[in-house]
Amino acid sequence: MPESDQLSVRPAAFARRSFVYRRLESAGAWFAEIGGAAVAARFGDTASEVETARRLGLADLSPLPRVGFKGAGAMDWLAERGVTIDGSRPNWSWRQGDGSLAIARSNTESLILSNLSGNRYLCDRLESESNEGMEARVYVLPRYDGLFWFALTGSCAVACMAKVCGVDLRPSSFVDGAVAQTSVAGLTTTVVRCDIGIENAFYLLGDSASAEFFWDALLDAMREFRGDAVGLWSLQALQAEVK
Amino acid sequence: MSGGASRLPAPWGAYIDRDRTVRFSFEGREIEGFAGDTIASALAANGIRLLSRSFKYHRPRGSTSMSGDDGGGLVQVGDEPNVLADVREVEPGMTVVGQNYIGSLESDQASILERFKPFLPVGFYYKAFFRPRGIWNYWEKLIRQTAGLGRVDPDTPRRYYDKTYEFCDVAVIGAGPAGLAAAAEAAESGADVLLVEREPDLGGSLAFQRFDPDAFGAERTLCRLRERVAGQSNLRVMTNAVCTGWFADNWLSIISGNRLHKLRARSVVACTGVLEQPPLFRANDLPGIMFGGAAQRLIRSYGVKPGRRAVVFTSSGDGYGVALDLDDSGVDVAAIVDPGSASSGDSLTLAARDRGIRVIQGCAVAEAVPRPDKLNVAAVLVGPVSGSDFIADDRERIDCDLLCVSTATAPAASLLCQAGARLQLSESSGSFEVTSIPPNAFAAGSVNGFFDLDAVIEDGQRAGMSAAHTGDETAPAAVERERGQTRRYWFGTEHPDGLDFVDFDEDVTAHDVCDAIAEGFEDIELLKRYTAMGMGPSQGRQSALGAARLVARVTGRPLSEVGATTSRPPAFPEKFGHLAGRAFKPVRRTALHHRHVELGAQIMTSGLWLRPAYYGPEHARAQLINEEVRAVRTGVGVIDVSTLGGFEIRGPDAAEFLNRMYTLSYHRLRVGRVRYAMVLDDAGVVVDDGVAARLARNHFYVTASTTGAEEMYPALLWRQAQWRLDVDISDVTSSTCAFNLAGPRSRAVLEKLASDIDFSRAAFPYMAVRVGRLGGIPVRVLRIGFVGELGYEIHVPSAQAEALWDTLMEAGDEFGIRPFAVEAQRVLRLEKGHVIVGQDTDGLTNPLEADMGWALGRRKRYYVGKRSIEIAAAKGIARRLVGYRLVGSVGTVPEEGCLVIRRGEIVGRLTSSAWSPTLGRTIGLAYVAPDQAAAGHVFDIKAQDGRMVRAEVAALPFYDPGNTRQGL
Amino acid sequence: MKIMPCPLNGPRNISEFVCQGEVEIEPDPATASDRDWADHLFMLDNEAGVVREWWYHVPTSYWFIAERNTVTDEIVRTYPTEELIERGGHPADFESKS
Repeated sequence: MPESDQLSVRPAAFARRSFVYRRLESAGAWFAEIGGAAVAARFGDTASEVETARRLGLADLSPLPRVGFKGAGAMDWLAERGVTIDGSRPNWSWRQGDGSLAIARSNTESLILSNLSGNRYLCDRLESESNEGMEARVYVLPRYDGLFWFALTGSCAVACMAKVCGVDLRPSSFVDGAVAQTSVAGLTTTVVRCDIGIENAFYLLGDSASAEFFWDALLDAMREFRGDAVGLWSLQALQAEVK
Repeated sequence: MSGGASRLPAPWGAYIDRDRTVRFSFEGREIEGFAGDTIASALAANGIRLLSRSFKYHRPRGSTSMSGDDGGGLVQVGDEPNVLADVREVEPGMTVVGQNYIGSLESDQASILERFKPFLPVGFYYKAFFRPRGIWNYWEKLIRQTAGLGRVDPDTPRRYYDKTYEFCDVAVIGAGPAGLAAAAEAAESGADVLLVEREPDLGGSLAFQRFDPDAFGAERTLCRLRERVAGQSNLRVMTNAVCTGWFADNWLSIISGNRLHKLRARSVVACTGVLEQPPLFRANDLPGIMFGGAAQRLIRSYGVKPGRRAVVFTSSGDGYGVALDLDDSGVDVAAIVDPGSASSGDSLTLAARDRGIRVIQGCAVAEAVPRPDKLNVAAVLVGPVSGSDFIADDRERIDCDLLCVSTATAPAASLLCQAGARLQLSESSGSFEVTSIPPNAFAAGSVNGFFDLDAVIEDGQRAGMSAAHTGDETAPAAVERERGQTRRYWFGTEHPDGLDFVDFDEDVTAHDVCDAIAEGFEDIELLKRYTAMGMGPSQGRQSALGAARLVARVTGRPLSEVGATTSRPPAFPEKFGHLAGRAFKPVRRTALHHRHVELGAQIMTSGLWLRPAYYGPEHARAQLINEEVRAVRTGVGVIDVSTLGGFEIRGPDAAEFLNRMYTLSYHRLRVGRVRYAMVLDDAGVVVDDGVAARLARNHFYVTASTTGAEEMYPALLWRQAQWRLDVDISDVTSSTCAFNLAGPRSRAVLEKLASDIDFSRAAFPYMAVRVGRLGGIPVRVLRIGFVGELGYEIHVPSAQAEALWDTLMEAGDEFGIRPFAVEAQRVLRLEKGHVIVGQDTDGLTNPLEADMGWALGRRKRYYVGKRSIEIAAAKGIARRLVGYRLVGSVGTVPEEGCLVIRRGEIVGRLTSSAWSPTLGRTIGLAYVAPDQAAAGHVFDIKAQDGRMVRAEVAALPFYDPGNTRQGL
Repeated sequence: MKIMPCPLNGPRNISEFVCQGEVEIEPDPATASDRDWADHLFMLDNEAGVVREWWYHVPTSYWFIAERNTVTDEIVRTYPTEELIERGGHPADFESKS
């Protein structure tokens, strides 16, 4: 983890920008570079942010790599490239060896999310090979640009989600790895239970054009639980504790 | 004593905290109560029973149930109307007033209305106000003034309400003895249980009713049940939570505080108990008359002595328990009036006799006598029972200031009935019973016909067990218990002198009901609508039984054939705030949104999108739009068109898919070329348009209009579900931003940037597409000309769109680049005569009418809507879209929507109208009759101010007819 | 709120879905009479009983078929469109016809 007295990078210094970077800036975020984009690493000190993340934290992971593949041949094609995924089990996700996540959105559509270090390797490799996939009925989807990616974490995350989502996300019904594509705060959203170091962590992915609306709606729903925005470092710290 | 003169010492008053005095005002008078008091209990402690005036005759009313089940206790609290005084807890400083009176609550000038009762028969509204024709308009104003109860304050401050979803295996509604037992049993069986109780504490009847001679016997049972419930980690309890609705698939609405909970339960157990029912007698609505349970609530929950001298009118042991409670709290019990001829041997009855309380057996209350001020009961007239409901004329007067009534109950079944159960009159008890309970729903306790406390708890356990095992075929079936002895009820009958109210809310008397039945309204649903009975605040909870019995008696139909009216949500009052909650209205912003704001754009909405209308201050609107137009015509402008829909159509059948979906032909479109794409529906109506760019043999990128994109994606997938072609369709609307760089100098701007794309005229012609990089950012560039100038539509990944915009603005600076927005674009395209689908077309427009026959692939065998177009073409069209310009000196400029008139008939309308700064005149598009469509034809428009304006059909496009500029 | 069992997403609140009406077989536009074509466009069978309907799950853009009783509003069965619609059976499939 870099020293905190280092200077923050500016999101606008990169061509790739998070859809909520202005919200993060005005909340006082300290940005670090990951894979050619600025990610909100922390807002205050990471130690207290870890506590917030344990209770209820919202982090913007949009600058981290992700990509989608769709088509009749997509699942087999991914498996051939060493990705653990099962098209016969839609609405489920699998952790890969490098910590990235493969999500089956349907029998023929997948979404690959990078690990929390933002390692581009898997996404880049798959994306570059997908050009040859047309004959195999594999079609790449630009999910980095089409979907925002937030993480909602902590002991109050389920109660908070219940204010905005009609799907039963209680730990007993929605276990680690489960995926629900539903409406959250009126917006089509993919909800993934992905316990990163703590229980009850959700990845939320939705229409990037509504990212600011969604960010604001979640923070409003989080207020009664004293939840707040947290930086990527607090999530990395939580994950490191488990390892 | 503080907290009111009629307070009883502890242990009476389980809900109140005597250490915390709460002061509030009622009708301008300062009142002292305790924390935990309701408005009604605090007022009762201060000797006040009169809370409001009735709806029709302005009769004095108070709460009869002390539980929010009757409509007599509605008050105004500050700006909030129709608050249940017997439910709302007192708060320091609250301002409470009664409702529905003129002058003062105690001396209501409108109470004179009662004297006009003979002139206000049932169905009065239907009979009086419809003749002669038009008279309603006069009466309506008067009636509106008297209708309604509380006052709505339009300046009420906004309050925060929200909603949340809840899930459980078993929901138990009501935490009385049955509910507690059911919840504990279900939780012990392993189910995830939610127990919902509307009162502040658990217990239901155990908390206020007397089940045995020992005053606090029920408390021991309650303690035991509470412990069972508290010991379960998979059992959650919600108190002060009112279940208001039971919808399909066990979806329950529960209100607590400012939050609406939407609960989905696998199974639901209703333990909602029974509601005491008012018997018929004269003046049965006077303040001072309340249900036995209401008096017991005052004593036990709030520590209030409910009166000085009481008569208890009862047909069952319950009332004897009331008499014992009254006696224990120092009320002089003048008599127990029991219509039963033989004394029952239960322990409560025996205990009351042992205390020497006078029991008048075989008699019933025939009439309540009001005090001279008419604001309270002063005495009752009691007579011997003759026949099942009738009272002989031989009357005894008993003075009292309190009459407690416990003569009949009915199941509190409104929720169960919403779920599909039915209420039916039982031949044996004469009251309602619940039948036809649907699957995954259960009833337990007194609502299910059990009254003996042990039986109630056992029934709760049975229901809890069954509910926990819902869907489990292997679970043993629970054994239903016999309901035991039927209770004795007394319902009373009409009094010859009237004032025998069936429905207190709407002031409907037994006579009114009988009159309505005589007029033919004998169906219970019709009767309700004709008399308004059951439509008031208490929703028939205390009138449905009385009405059903009258129907049965007057029509001679068997009791079992008479039911109750349909129960609909909400079962209890809900505020609009609860229903509105926190409304989510997703908006969509393009990646450039903040750049637009920084540039001073006026933001408008377009579907869910926020878009700039024009850049600059509102007062300079017209001038700014003209400047933006001029920039595009003479230099270079840039507009954010990210809101356009974008679809990737990929696979071996990609061209075939387009060929079927869109009207033009795409099989032979060369790679690297762009073609217009119009979509019709099956009826041949234009629904959307865009362009299709062929990026590879089996790869098209197709755009859709801003407003059409949302509808188009499902439509494309729906066709594909039927065609099952070897093709993939993906929506990339949000992953792609786009801006249109337009104007004679646009090429110069692009050529300044590092790119692998050759922008020269020869290498990149009109209607071509190129894929490459611009300033290091991946782009697809489409050379198309919606605004009729040299132009490039640059599509870019959303996350990098802002960076590219910045680069372009910087590069364009030396060429005077100017951002332009929707308003200017509308003018620019109008100058070119380009149609906007949805503005220049409507829900019936086919391409022939819109003069877009050129976009139909006439040699194609199939496209969506083709057959309908052929039929339309054979029939001939009835209107035609043309360009027009205004003729002569124009006073009024007709707006979009104005009608085209010929010989007094409407033949069309204007769809677009704008000032063209390029041409220096107003131009537009309009539908006219087909024989008016030739250029030069003059037609008449009726302008918005009613004046007739002349226009001349103009050849399209207005600007650059040779289309040379877009091909530069 | 009613629950719709979605073949892809399992039971969900029905507010996540859109109903597109009864599944109708499109007559061959090349051979249908004007009257048959107009019937197809504008007339609904509106039967009382179990009907086959198009339903769309909005969050996943997923079309499927539901068999629903229009009298009781009971959803009898739901299944993917492929179970009902054969490849190449549409009037627009000229190659399979010739």
